[in-house]
Amino acid sequence: MYHKKSTISVLLLSLLLIGVGCKNELDINQNPNVPTYEQGTPQVVFPAGVIATVGKVGGDLTILGGIWAQNYTQSALSNQYKYIDAYDVKSTDFNASWNVLFTSGLKNYKFVLDKSRASGDWTYFLMGAVMNAYTTAILVDLYDKIPYSEAFQGLNNLEPKFDDGFKIYKDLISQIDTALSKDFTAITCSVAGTAPSYKDGTPGFVASDLVFNGDIEQWKAFANTLKLKLYLRMVNAQPALARTGVMDIINSNVPLLTSDAGVSNNVQRSTTENFVHFSDVLGKDNPFYEQNIRSLNTPDNIRASRTFASWLVENGDPRSFFYFGSLAPNSVNQGDYNGTDASYQTAKVFVQTPTDPVLFISEAESYFLQAEAAVRYFNGTNAQNLYNSGVLSAFAVTDNDGTSFVANGGAYAFPNAGTLEQKIEAIIVQKWASFPYGCHAIEGFFEKNRTGYPRTSSVYSTDKNYVPGQFVIAKNSVLPSGQLPKRLIYPYDETSRNSNSPAIVPSTTGVWWAR
Amino acid sequence: MLLNLNLIYMKKIALLLAFFAIGLQVLMAQTKEITGKVTSEEDGGSIPGVSVSVKGTTLGTITDLDGVFRLKVPLDAKTLQFGFIGMAPQEFTIGNQSVINVQLKSQDVALNEVVVTALGQTTNKAKVGYSTSTFTSESINKDGAINMLSGISSKVAGANISDVGGPGSSTKVILRGYGIIGGGNNQPLYVIDGVPLNDDRLDGTFSTNLGGTSDFGNGMTNINPNDIESLSILKGTAAASLYGSQAKNGVIMITTKRGKAGKLKVEYNGSFSVSEVGKLPDLQDQYGQGWSGSFILSENGSWGPRLDGSIRPWGATLDNSQLIKPFSFIKNNIRDFYNTGTEANNSIALSGGSDITKFFFSYSNVTSDGVIPTKADYLQRNTFALRTNSDFDNFSINTSFNYINRKQNSPITGQGGSDAATVFESLLQIPVDIPISDFRNYKNKFFNVDNFFTPYAENPYYALNENGISQNADRFFGNVDMKYKFSKSLFTQFRLGGDFNNARTFGWAQPNAPTPGSWNAGQNVEGASRAKDVGSVLQSSDYFGTINGDLMVNYNKDLTEDLNLDVTAGVNYYQSSQKNEIAYITKLTVPGLFNLANSSDPATTDDFSSLRRRMGIYGTATLGYKSQLYLTGNLRNDWSSTLPTDANSILYYGVNGSWVISKTFDLSNTPFSYLKLRSGYGQTGSDPDPYQVYSSLRLGNVGLGHGTLTSPFNGTPAWGVSNVINNPLLEPILTKEFEIGTEIKLYKDRIGIDFSYYDKITSGQIFNVPIAASTGYREMVQNIGQVSNRGIEVALDLKPIVTKDFSWSLIYTFTKNHNNVDKLSGSLPNVLINSYYDAESRATVGKPVGEIYALVPLLSPDGKIVVNAAGMPQAAQEKGDYGSTQYKYMMGLNNTFAYKNFQLGFSLDFRYGGVMYSGTSDLLLFTGNAKATLYNDRRPFIVPNSVVASTNDAGETVYTENKTVIDEANFGNYFYPTSNPGTSYTQRIFDKSFLKMRDITLSYKVPTKWTSKINASQISLGIFAKNLLLWTPAANMYIDPEGTNLGNDLAGELGEFRAAPTSKNFGASLKITF
Repeated sequence: MYHKKSTISVLLLSLLLIGVGCKNELDINQNPNVPTYEQGTPQVVFPAGVIATVGKVGGDLTILGGIWAQNYTQSALSNQYKYIDAYDVKSTDFNASWNVLFTSGLKNYKFVLDKSRASGDWTYFLMGAVMNAYTTAILVDLYDKIPYSEAFQGLNNLEPKFDDGFKIYKDLISQIDTALSKDFTAITCSVAGTAPSYKDGTPGFVASDLVFNGDIEQWKAFANTLKLKLYLRMVNAQPALARTGVMDIINSNVPLLTSDAGVSNNVQRSTTENFVHFSDVLGKDNPFYEQNIRSLNTPDNIRASRTFASWLVENGDPRSFFYFGSLAPNSVNQGDYNGTDASYQTAKVFVQTPTDPVLFISEAESYFLQAEAAVRYFNGTNAQNLYNSGVLSAFAVTDNDGTSFVANGGAYAFPNAGTLEQKIEAIIVQKWASFPYGCHAIEGFFEKNRTGYPRTSSVYSTDKNYVPGQFVIAKNSVLPSGQLPKRLIYPYDETSRNSNSPAIVPSTTGVWWAR
Repeated sequence: MLLNLNLIYMKKIALLLAFFAIGLQVLMAQTKEITGKVTSEEDGGSIPGVSVSVKGTTLGTITDLDGVFRLKVPLDAKTLQFGFIGMAPQEFTIGNQSVINVQLKSQDVALNEVVVTALGQTTNKAKVGYSTSTFTSESINKDGAINMLSGISSKVAGANISDVGGPGSSTKVILRGYGIIGGGNNQPLYVIDGVPLNDDRLDGTFSTNLGGTSDFGNGMTNINPNDIESLSILKGTAAASLYGSQAKNGVIMITTKRGKAGKLKVEYNGSFSVSEVGKLPDLQDQYGQGWSGSFILSENGSWGPRLDGSIRPWGATLDNSQLIKPFSFIKNNIRDFYNTGTEANNSIALSGGSDITKFFFSYSNVTSDGVIPTKADYLQRNTFALRTNSDFDNFSINTSFNYINRKQNSPITGQGGSDAATVFESLLQIPVDIPISDFRNYKNKFFNVDNFFTPYAENPYYALNENGISQNADRFFGNVDMKYKFSKSLFTQFRLGGDFNNARTFGWAQPNAPTPGSWNAGQNVEGASRAKDVGSVLQSSDYFGTINGDLMVNYNKDLTEDLNLDVTAGVNYYQSSQKNEIAYITKLTVPGLFNLANSSDPATTDDFSSLRRRMGIYGTATLGYKSQLYLTGNLRNDWSSTLPTDANSILYYGVNGSWVISKTFDLSNTPFSYLKLRSGYGQTGSDPDPYQVYSSLRLGNVGLGHGTLTSPFNGTPAWGVSNVINNPLLEPILTKEFEIGTEIKLYKDRIGIDFSYYDKITSGQIFNVPIAASTGYREMVQNIGQVSNRGIEVALDLKPIVTKDFSWSLIYTFTKNHNNVDKLSGSLPNVLINSYYDAESRATVGKPVGEIYALVPLLSPDGKIVVNAAGMPQAAQEKGDYGSTQYKYMMGLNNTFAYKNFQLGFSLDFRYGGVMYSGTSDLLLFTGNAKATLYNDRRPFIVPNSVVASTNDAGETVYTENKTVIDEANFGNYFYPTSNPGTSYTQRIFDKSFLKMRDITLSYKVPTKWTSKINASQISLGIFAKNLLLWTPAANMYIDPEGTNLGNDLAGELGEFRAAPTSKNFGASLKITF
């Protein structure tokens, strides 16, 4: 009996020892497939934010913007974007843009800002501040109020309140100012270019700046131009602040963009490197192309809109060939996707390539912003030059020369003798015509809401009295008669999870800065 | 519930008992010797260990290994008694015979039924306080099943079992309802000879590539059903609590066949069956090719003019010629696309051995080619098993080695991508007047890439022949099990098992593009062109490995004459690792070369590995009183690597009791022949999946509307902060369950009733709770939510007729489960489980899990449908509830008729209630092929009971009668969500009830006098049909509601998305034993 008991005790004891002795064996729960949070640096995280901004602004929003800015329209032979062209955008339709811009865009910029502020890496601090401001402003422009001051706190605030759009704008500008005021020669600053290193010679990561390849001067110009854009957005709602803000920028002679800011293969940078930021490869290409052509079974949904095409043809604008592959493109009247007009069968498809750039602010746009500033606050001084530079740049990127167009008597000659409104109209219409290049057609939609240009036609584009280039009400609009959309309604993913979401505002109501 | 016997264990126990029973042999003077052989009536095999005794005396013996006995009996002895557990006792009048050969019949007596319980121990069923169902090899294999559970799908109360697809695809097994919404699956734990079996699906990592989904089955489907001796289903937590972290969904205990001492036994099982496609969509037969009411040669739908039989041209104009055909409906158009499938299932087993060592060896081969033409749905599986059992004095060692090789092609279902189209999407887009089978020659100049009739879809035969996905897997599993007996009442056991599965998957899609200038390159009447298919190649390697070790001590002792104590304590080590690598390319540069190098682009790769470990200690004790009252307690503690290191311990427990009332009281004067009450309560659970505790970065990929931008992006690496907030305070999921039940036998076992009520609560579910993106994150890992399942299970076992030659028995099962989401967190009133387009299945508090929500019409205050300017119903802002995806109840009815050597059986499975979303219906409604599109005979109509909303001068919304007619040109738009968001989902979501005849089998046992001529001990022949009949409600005009390509768990309950149809089988089987 004794023997048996001791056997049992020995066995039980050994079982227990095995059980307890293995505790260290269990510390294996760190995911081996991804870096830890602590391993994150501005260098690896910043590009994730840029790709998110590029993917959404250059993807979903380019489709939405280009259709709502009437640069192009849904084909009558397919279905993909009918809901956009009928202004029938529901709360569930743009969930993804909101979600990606917040979580993959802005959150990563916040990470970059926090880390670079802590380490004194002002290079990334400026880059983060600018991209954060650009991306945040796009969301404000689409939705008006958005979560801002309480956002990005994770578990600490699961339902951030929505902030006033104007307050957000002001804060974005002050953030840019703070970043611009830093010392970019500090030893703690890194170089974000192709062969990056820290100022002290510590090697950094590989190329991390998809926008300017480490050229901090270009980032400064982008920062200032973005500020200019933000102030000009305020001309209706905050005219006084808009005036002082714009005048400060122009008067202080800070550098403004003289080339494109965005992700592009085309742009010459301060280094001699060849850039391949987009390639003809699945998942590595222009997002508009990836989304609308490569990964969609129907490549020809997006076709020339009569609104834009008729204007190009009327003016003999050679960019028509660049945009639509024809100097006299057949087109579809905006939103007439159920139409049976025989010419719709051969309506021209908007020309896209996998390596098209995605621009945040184009060179042309920079000049147009400056031209508007000149018209509004400097009595038009230098406005014509700036305007001409904008038009020429917009032609140049399409491999055309616009000289004859801006010459006196040319189709796009600046209305020097015109009223302020006529000048603004000329600038905005040219800007609108430039946006389809560089996948930022959404800006055309914003500028229409801010300035009212191009004008809205009282008749549909099939009418004999239709003036080419004027916006029409889409054929199958679901909105009340005569109305155009002016914003997106809040996405369902946010409103259903954040009880602080404001009540739904109809899409026909303009955002805070709207005219 | 079937009352079946586990012969191996019974025989072992019987041998032991017999030795005890035969006390002293008394030598007597006046004796004679009687010899004889005892065989089994079922298979003619000899039965060792049968007790043979002279009635009224203590004289007796037991049969030897060959079933032979030799007994000296007094001359005046009149009757011999034969007894063996699990067999009906027999008495034989001696008379003046000296040779008495006896055949024993098996007997379904609950008293003697043996069940396999947790840890692979066997015990008398009377002892257990929870519901179990046991199936024998015969019942699993009678219809030539290639999957061990497909034969029993209507036969277990409380189990929802379905085969979801073609050869080798997954089987869904849900015991007592869906308890887990988040943090794990709802699949039971499979335990084979005491060792957990990996049940993972091997297709998880590449479902998004090749433009569709494929199903290569779950781990359980690999097992050769002919290797199984018995299978016990332990549905409840009380039964499973000893398995701790793995057993939250119940356990299926599998005991494999083992050799028996004696001469070499050879057993052959074979079946051959043919299959044909089952339910297919009902198509409309009134309107032909075209769109918006016009005949258009290049359209992929039947929205054209009324079919009038006139001769019309069709397809492309080519070399100034065009095909012609009557403009009329083609019957069986889709059905004729399918072939007759074939399936051969052969297995051979050799077994035998000595007293010390027995062996069992088996080889099986399944070759199955399903109903889809070509080998797109194809399975070839070879299995080898070698098992040994050796008994020495105090030491025994058992081994089991199993190897499975599987080659399988799975049809690509679902939505096509830019690399290739899928067969089913192509098939559903062919107008009802265009002969599908003509396209078989897909290289014919009229049907090829350039000139297939429409640019909006592809020739289905092209996808079938040129694209595919195939998997080749090698799996080894086995165990070594050693036992050392210290004394009669104490032993220790060590068992080490492993399961290693390596699958290599190869997918290929041929690039193609319409030649410029061809019909599909824009030269058709609509000027539309088809985007090229860029082609793709996918290579993936998936490894799953588990190691499981147990060291146990068992102590069994009669404490007093009436009290027995049985205690087991042990430790467990478990490790599971997974490694997946996948590489794929698109844009093939050389057509026909399916190699990762064949692209201008670098391959996209993905690499995932995970590792988890668990340690456990456990103990179980059963106290038995007079073999009529039993009380069992279980206790287990696990430490898991997937929990926070300082809080990684989980305690599980269970207690259950049973009372065999018919033993306590003498019920012999009542109809009751057996009466048992049982009850149990237990807690099991599940540790989380790995890597949910610490925060991390994620690859900076950005999903677009279609496609994804991926990191590294043209040379720039990007890692963003993860969008999931991990949880450093993560806790395990816990399931608590109470059950009570009874087993009743009446009228000498002619009526058997097994009833259970259970109440199961699963709490602390682990969710990636979606949160507002403004927090910076998309999801947070949380233990929230509680799901309850309460239900009843009834199994009735009736034997209405039992005569010498003819018997009729039937088993009826009824299952009603009430599932409810009790709690979710306050900010999360519902959880998205799965979605396709705007149809979602959700978990919503107060409703069963898997409720379908989709767009519903916007209604005016007085309940009328608000339409838009086009006259189409508008959608309400919030999605509406279309009902639960869960059955209200399930019933099974199994009849068996036996006449002499013939046996006829059939089983019916009825499942009532629940709704599903169908992606097949979605496409058929879009193309106007669905019968439902004959609404109003396609004449212009105004949406009934509809109004138009407008704003009056006072800014109020007013509703006026809708007068907008949906005319011929827009008729088709009424059937698609983009144009009719309001009511199109009512057309796509329908009742999933069905009644199926699962199987019908007729078998014939060749009489011994014939079998003995070829020295066979048993031959039986059978014919069978499976899934012969299917009834669905009128609303389901589309598919077999059991078939899905959305997986075998909760997500699959949403319905299907352009899945392959299910099929029917007809076959014959042969079993020979030598």
